[in-house]
Amino acid sequence: MRILAQVEDGTLLGALDDAARELGAEVLHVEANGRKEERLRAVLGTHPELLVMDASEPELLRLLRAETRTRGVGLVVVCTDEREAAIAAEVGADEWLMASVAAPEVLARLRSALKRVRGAERPQVTARVAEHLRYEELLYDRFTGFPTLPLMLERGREILERTGRLTVLYIEFVRYSKLEEIYGWRKLDEVLQTTANAMREFYNQQRSDEESLLMVSHTGDDDFIFFSDLPENPAQAERRINELADELESHIRGRLDADHGEDIAGLFGIYIGATTLFRNPKIRTERMIYRGIREAAQAARSVENRERTRKVADLKTALREGGVYIEYHPIVVTETKEVYGYEALARGVDRGLRSPEVMFGVAEEANLIWELSRLCRRRAIEGLAENLEPHQLLFLNIDPHDFRDPTFRYLDLDELGIEHPERIVLEITERTAITDYPAFQEYLRDFRARGFRFAVDDAGSGYAGLGSIANLSPDFIKLDISLISDIDSNFMKQTLVETMVSFANDHGIQVIAEGVEREEEYQTVKGLGVHLTQGFLFHTPLYMGKAHS
Amino acid sequence: MDDKQTILVVDDNRDNVEILRAFLESRGYVVAEATDGRAALAKMEQVRPDLVLLDVMMPGMDGWQVCRTIKNHPDLGDTRVVMVTAKGGYEDKFEGMRSGADDYVVKPVDLKELAIKVQRNLAARGTGK
Repeated sequence: MRILAQVEDGTLLGALDDAARELGAEVLHVEANGRKEERLRAVLGTHPELLVMDASEPELLRLLRAETRTRGVGLVVVCTDEREAAIAAEVGADEWLMASVAAPEVLARLRSALKRVRGAERPQVTARVAEHLRYEELLYDRFTGFPTLPLMLERGREILERTGRLTVLYIEFVRYSKLEEIYGWRKLDEVLQTTANAMREFYNQQRSDEESLLMVSHTGDDDFIFFSDLPENPAQAERRINELADELESHIRGRLDADHGEDIAGLFGIYIGATTLFRNPKIRTERMIYRGIREAAQAARSVENRERTRKVADLKTALREGGVYIEYHPIVVTETKEVYGYEALARGVDRGLRSPEVMFGVAEEANLIWELSRLCRRRAIEGLAENLEPHQLLFLNIDPHDFRDPTFRYLDLDELGIEHPERIVLEITERTAITDYPAFQEYLRDFRARGFRFAVDDAGSGYAGLGSIANLSPDFIKLDISLISDIDSNFMKQTLVETMVSFANDHGIQVIAEGVEREEEYQTVKGLGVHLTQGFLFHTPLYMGKAHS
Repeated sequence: MDDKQTILVVDDNRDNVEILRAFLESRGYVVAEATDGRAALAKMEQVRPDLVLLDVMMPGMDGWQVCRTIKNHPDLGDTRVVMVTAKGGYEDKFEGMRSGADDYVVKPVDLKELAIKVQRNLAARGTGK
């Protein structure tokens, strides 16, 4: 048991040491000088059970009381007069004693303080503290730091009563659920943080004396609400709302682009709806505000629907006009960094369809996935001769829906007149291969008979055991980005990859590490014997080479 | 601030905790302990360890859940988590990875191996995410 003491009086120190000996505790002495923060850290870092301090600095005492309370550390204050004793009481110390007091008294006080901290009295303190913390948490969203709805309602009511009107802006975030599938939940959290930060920045920028802009984040949902006090004139107000919406959207997009790249930023839709409430003595304010929020949300949703319809129209145009282009992403031999092959990534020419996840997402919803897949494959193969050296392989993604496509079996690949099927590697996700196992096995047999090779994509996302993957006898296993990300500092991942490489070597399979973004990740992957590597690290003109458009 | 690094040992078996405590303290680490998931999380807020040695098999909240909670936490997320598991199989390792664990040791714990793994994870804490 440890007691931390910051006490000047020599006699008292002696008494303290005696008392500590009785209690079987060690006493650590803290310097009286030095900065406040350092002294605080000294307290926290040693995990004492009791802190004994003099009352010379009430402010520091208050700070320490708050810190020690949440950590279950008792506070005993040494006072030289009545005034200091009053301070100790006010600050809420567990015990206090007068400096001139004798050793037995010191022991008694320490014992009493310890009892408070440890024993019967504790539950009350703990309960109080816990309640206090809980309220704090309830009022402010822990993750984003924004005020939650109860606080918002108060503020909303205030604005409504003061000015007679309140404009509610509802910001709806739509994300393609594939984000979690592709990048993992950690990435999603990071993106939400970026969004919350972007919102806060925007809010701080916009704040002025006239307008009061308050935000709330829905807990459990990713939407945001702004309250605003807008100009009287309805035309002006509408214009201001549109301005605000545009500014907000481009601000958030900009941040997402900057922090996470265009690909991820493209996975989000931001739709903003607004409604203005007017003070009405006949209707209860809360009801009015809730209703306003609902209306604004509906407005946001109809913007989303309009966008969606437009996107489908854009996709149909793209399909008709072949508005899809291919990026060839290099896959290199890990040891030598020579380009082994390229993976074809299709993007829509139209800005709204630039992201493959969005493009395929829209296609899936509109039942146009087969047409899109066929178009993308055709484009990828058309570019083969021009972009790849004769010995390099082309990796093509096969969508799970393609197995239901009747033309897929006999393959437009045949129509496209591929002379060297052994140059083509079909990538199928681990999940698809295992879920559709019977159908898949049939196709596999067919394709292999014709010379195509195949790769299990997203391997190691844990969907299947190594045994199941072995049964498929793939030519390649592509390790999911979640296994590779930060592998240089995660030994768990290193062990797993090591296992998979060993397994692959035993079965004549080549392993490809996906999503290598940093040099350190590359070095680790190289050290583990992974045969091939792919990722952002190689998205430079040198590697894109011939394939760079 | 202290030069000594703090390790939180979480295991429902007190004997295991004592063995690990004695060993780690002899290596110069400050050791805190907890015997179940909930207590571990509370302790973490209090003590802010640099590394957590987390038993997988515990009653109540299992080790995987505790790991996920820690790694998801806005403040505690960069604490290193080393799982202590009785099984060292592929599925187990995957579960560990998915929960966000940084490393693992297999029971019965080889103390020499433990020392190496603790060291490398503490070293990695400065650099990686």
